[in-house]
Amino acid sequence: MEFKSSPHAPKCIDADFSKGRLAALCAWMAVLIFLFGAAVPAQTRMAQATAEPPAAAPAAHRFTDEIGRRVDVPMDVKRIVSLAPNLTEIVFALGEGDHLAGDTDFCDYPPEATQKPRVGGPVNPNLEQIVALTPGLVLATKSINRRETVEALAHLGLPVYVTDPHSVDEMITSVERLGRILHAEKTAVPLVEDLRARLSDLDRRLAGTVPRRVLFVVWTDPLISIGRDTFIADALRRAGARSVVDTTAEWPRVSLEEIVRLQPEFVVFASAHAGDTQHDIDALRSRPGWRELDALRHGHIVVISDAINRPAPRMVDAIEQLARALHSESFVSRDRQSRRAPHVTEETCACAR
Amino acid sequence: MRPLTLRRLLWTCGALTAVLLACIVLALKLGAVPISVTDLVWNLGRIAIGRGDQLPTEYRLIVFDLRLPRILLGILVGAALSVSGASFQALLRNPLADPFVLGVSSGAALGSILALIVAPQIALITPLGAFLGAIATIAAVYFLGRREGQLDSTTLLLGGIISASFLSAIIMFLMTTLAGRDLRGMVFWLMGDLSTPVPAGLRWIFTAGLLVGIGAIYTTAADLNLLLTGEREAIHLGVDVTRVKLVVYVSASLLTALAVSASGAIGYVGLLVPHAIRLLFGSDYRLLIPASALGGAIAIVLADTLARTVVAPTELPVGAMTAMAGAPVFIYLLRRGIR
Repeated sequence: MEFKSSPHAPKCIDADFSKGRLAALCAWMAVLIFLFGAAVPAQTRMAQATAEPPAAAPAAHRFTDEIGRRVDVPMDVKRIVSLAPNLTEIVFALGEGDHLAGDTDFCDYPPEATQKPRVGGPVNPNLEQIVALTPGLVLATKSINRRETVEALAHLGLPVYVTDPHSVDEMITSVERLGRILHAEKTAVPLVEDLRARLSDLDRRLAGTVPRRVLFVVWTDPLISIGRDTFIADALRRAGARSVVDTTAEWPRVSLEEIVRLQPEFVVFASAHAGDTQHDIDALRSRPGWRELDALRHGHIVVISDAINRPAPRMVDAIEQLARALHSESFVSRDRQSRRAPHVTEETCACAR
Repeated sequence: MRPLTLRRLLWTCGALTAVLLACIVLALKLGAVPISVTDLVWNLGRIAIGRGDQLPTEYRLIVFDLRLPRILLGILVGAALSVSGASFQALLRNPLADPFVLGVSSGAALGSILALIVAPQIALITPLGAFLGAIATIAAVYFLGRREGQLDSTTLLLGGIISASFLSAIIMFLMTTLAGRDLRGMVFWLMGDLSTPVPAGLRWIFTAGLLVGIGAIYTTAADLNLLLTGEREAIHLGVDVTRVKLVVYVSASLLTALAVSASGAIGYVGLLVPHAIRLLFGSDYRLLIPASALGGAIAIVLADTLARTVVAPTELPVGAMTAMAGAPVFIYLLRRGIR
C-alpha cells in the first residue's frame, strides 16, 4: 500500500490527524455496525422462521425428562442421535438400532454402533453434524454430556431427552422410559422384566452374606476410585460388595497409604478384555504400596467386564459376574443361572486366587 | 517509518475489512457439513429478497443458527482481545503483556466456577459469573497497582501476576475438592471455546461494549504513542498520564472481561495480533488499534474455522488452535522484521 503524497500532504501529521480522527473512527465504526446490522437481523429472521411449527408437523408427545425438562418427542421417531455410549447401548438393546442416525466416537458396543455416522466426542459433539443428521430425537445423559450442548440443541428446536441414572434401579427405569418414548415397549417390557428378575435373584442368593470390602480401581496411576453416590458404587452393593472408599466426590483420587490402612478384601478392575489387565496387575504387585495390600498378595483380584462403567442393560451382566467372583459359595447350583444369563459364562471371569 | 495519514489509515482498515469479509465467507462455507460457495451466495440472495423461508431447515440451522453466530462471536472476541492486548502493552510498557497478564482470565474462571457451584440451574450463569469475577479481579489489581494515587506500571504488573497465580491456585483447589460437581465444561472454558452459542440478546450487549471500549481506547491513541517513549517524557509533552492510564486500564479490562465471559480464555491472540500488526503496518497506535481489532477478528475467525474442520466432526477448542497456528506465524513475522 504505497500512496503518493498529494500536494496537500500535511506537514504536521497530528494536525491533519486530529481533524480526520473523528471521521476515521466514525467510518470504521460504521463498517462494523453495518457488518453486525446486516448479519444479526437476518439471523433473527431466520430464528423466527425456524421457531414456526412446520405446516405438516407430526403429532408430538410431551415427556418430562430425568432432569425435569419438558421435551416434545414426535410420535414416530425415525432418526435418533445418541450422545453417550450407554444411551447407544440402550437404543440397540431396545431393538431400535436401525433408527439410530448417529452416535459418538466412544460408542463401541454393540459393534454395529461403530458403523454409525459419528458426531464427535460426548463432551464436545459437533452441533452442525447433529443438525445435518436431521434427528427426530437426541438422547443425552447428564453425567457425560455438557449442559451447554443440551441447551444449544434445544435452542435449535431439536427435542433433547436427558437421562440421569444414579443407581442400577434408576438405570432400569431409564430403559423403561426410553422404551415408551421410542414406542419400543414390545422389547422394553421383557428386557426390563428380565433385568429386574436377575437382580432380585441375585438379592435372594446374596441375602445373609456379609458384603465384601473391595477397592474398585478406575485408574491406577494416580489411583482413582469411586465415590458413594455413583452408579458403580450401587452396582457393587448389588453384587454383595462395599467400596472401602467412602466419599461424596464422584471419582476421588485416593492415596495408596489410605488403601493400605483400609486393607480391602478384594481389588476389582474393570476391563474390556480380561487378559489385557493381567500384565498391569503383575506390574502393580511388585510396586511399593500396592505390595503391602493383602488382597494383591493373596491374589484376591477380580477382573470384571467394563460394562460396569456404563449405566446400560449390560451392567447387570457385570454385576452378576462380580457377585459370582466374590460370593462363589452362593452360586453352587448353576443350572438356573446358565439358563438365565448365558452371556455371563461367555465372559472371561478372571478370578486369580 | 512512513507518516500516518488519514488515507493510509482508511486504506489499511479497508483492506483488513475485505480480508475479514473473505474469511467470513470461508468460515460460512467450511465445516462438518460442506456447503458450496455458489450455493451460499445463491441462498444469501434468496434471504436478501425475503425468500429465506424456502430454504431447507437443516441448511438454515447450520449456516444461520450455528455458523454465523459463531463467526460473529469470534469477531467480537478477537477484536476485544487484540485491542486490549495492544493497550496493555502500551500501558505496562511491556511487549509481553497480553489481555490476561493482569489476572482477568483467572478471575473470570473463578467467577464462573463459583457461579456453577452456587446456582448451576440458572441459564447464562457461566458468562455472568465470569464477568463478575473479571470485574472483581480488575478492581482488586487496580488497588494493588496504585502507588501514591497513581497507577504504577511495575506494581500493576506484579500485582496482576500475583493475583493470577493466587486465583489459579484457588481454581485448582476447587476443581480437585469439588470433583463431584458438574465442572466438565470448565475444561473447555479454560482453553477458550466458541462452540457454545451465545443468546442473541447478549450478542448486542457484547457489540455495544466492544464499540464503547475500543472507542474509549482510541481517544487516547495519540497519548499512548507518547506514553511509550516514557512516562516522564509524556508528562512533559502535555499528556495527562493519570487520566490516560485510567481510561486505558478500565476499557481494556472491560474488553477482556467481555471476551472472557463469552468464550473463555483464548490465549495468544491478544499477544500475537498487535505485534503482527506492528510488524506489518508500524506501531502508531492510531492505526494499531483499529487494525488490531480487525486483525484479531480475522485471526479468531480463521482459527475457529480450523478448530471446527481439522478433525471434524470432533471439535478442537479454539484456544488450542490459536496457540498452534499463532506461534509459527509470529516467529515468521519476527524473523522477517529482524531482516
